[in-house]
Amino acid sequence: MTRLLAAWRRHKLLATAFAAALLLTLFFAIRTAVFAVYWSDPAHRDQVLEGWMTPRYVAHSWRVPPEVMEAAVGETPARRRPTLDAIAEHQGVPLADLTARLEAAIAAHRAAAE
Amino acid sequence: MIDTLLALVPAWGTGIVALATFLSCLALPIPSSLIMLTAGAFVAAGDLSLAATAGAAFAGAVAGDQAGYAAGRWGGARLDRLMVAGSAPARRIARARTLAERWGGPGVFLSRWLFSPLGPYMNFVAGAARLDWAGFTAWGTAGEAIWVAVYVGTGFAFAGQIEAAADILGNFSGALAAGAVALMLGLWLRAALRADRATRDLSRDAP
Repeated sequence: MTRLLAAWRRHKLLATAFAAALLLTLFFAIRTAVFAVYWSDPAHRDQVLEGWMTPRYVAHSWRVPPEVMEAAVGETPARRRPTLDAIAEHQGVPLADLTARLEAAIAAHRAAAE
Repeated sequence: MIDTLLALVPAWGTGIVALATFLSCLALPIPSSLIMLTAGAFVAAGDLSLAATAGAAFAGAVAGDQAGYAAGRWGGARLDRLMVAGSAPARRIARARTLAERWGGPGVFLSRWLFSPLGPYMNFVAGAARLDWAGFTAWGTAGEAIWVAVYVGTGFAFAGQIEAAADILGNFSGALAAGAVALMLGLWLRAALRADRATRDLSRDAP
């Protein structure tokens, strides 16, 4: 311990930087483990529909054919890859209405497939 | 914040991917890893083409590396002019240059993908240390290819759980980079302590 202290006194900057790097490594390692545990829980895995997603992304994420989403989305703005936010704005409805419509279409498709 | 960023990918397409990798190679705080993951997910969904996305990410990264290297070289040359030949700082810079010549290539390669948070600084250092340009470019290009393949590929594979992939991969790469820095500082500290002991023994032996 005294030797450690003596070493720290002689190389203050280097020893402090070393300790900081070790702490940072530990910090990121713990975060990695925490996130791995969190995401391994199946309840956290269903990706809630959000404004940045596109209809095709939703179809892929929820494993339904893209045509099902295209039919449920309705009229889309005339640009490539419109997001759900852009579609809701274009149709003049709240995003929640649009996502509710898509969720209903997914549920209906899954029920029909069974 | 993250949502705004994710929305940029479908809105701007491959352009935002190239811009993100370019700027992040210049040490600007751009979450280029997350953007590549997201772009990979949109490739899986069929909204973006794989070749265009990977090509844009790769081109942006290589251009960013070159810009960082050029900036380091320019800054390093100015530093040289300020140095007095034979002075301690000038000798130290010369030693750093020798070190870069010996270990620079593999160092550049690994800092592209395995220790990617260190990448941008490596570009400046490599330029300032006058690391051979052809070697820098060859090692760097190979490393960027792996970086792009890992992140776009992970995004493609985990398209349904992009947030999970970003959280785990992002922190893991942070731990690797911090660990590499800790290892280097630890070795440096050990060498310094050994040098201390050697001088102490010498002074003890002296009458």
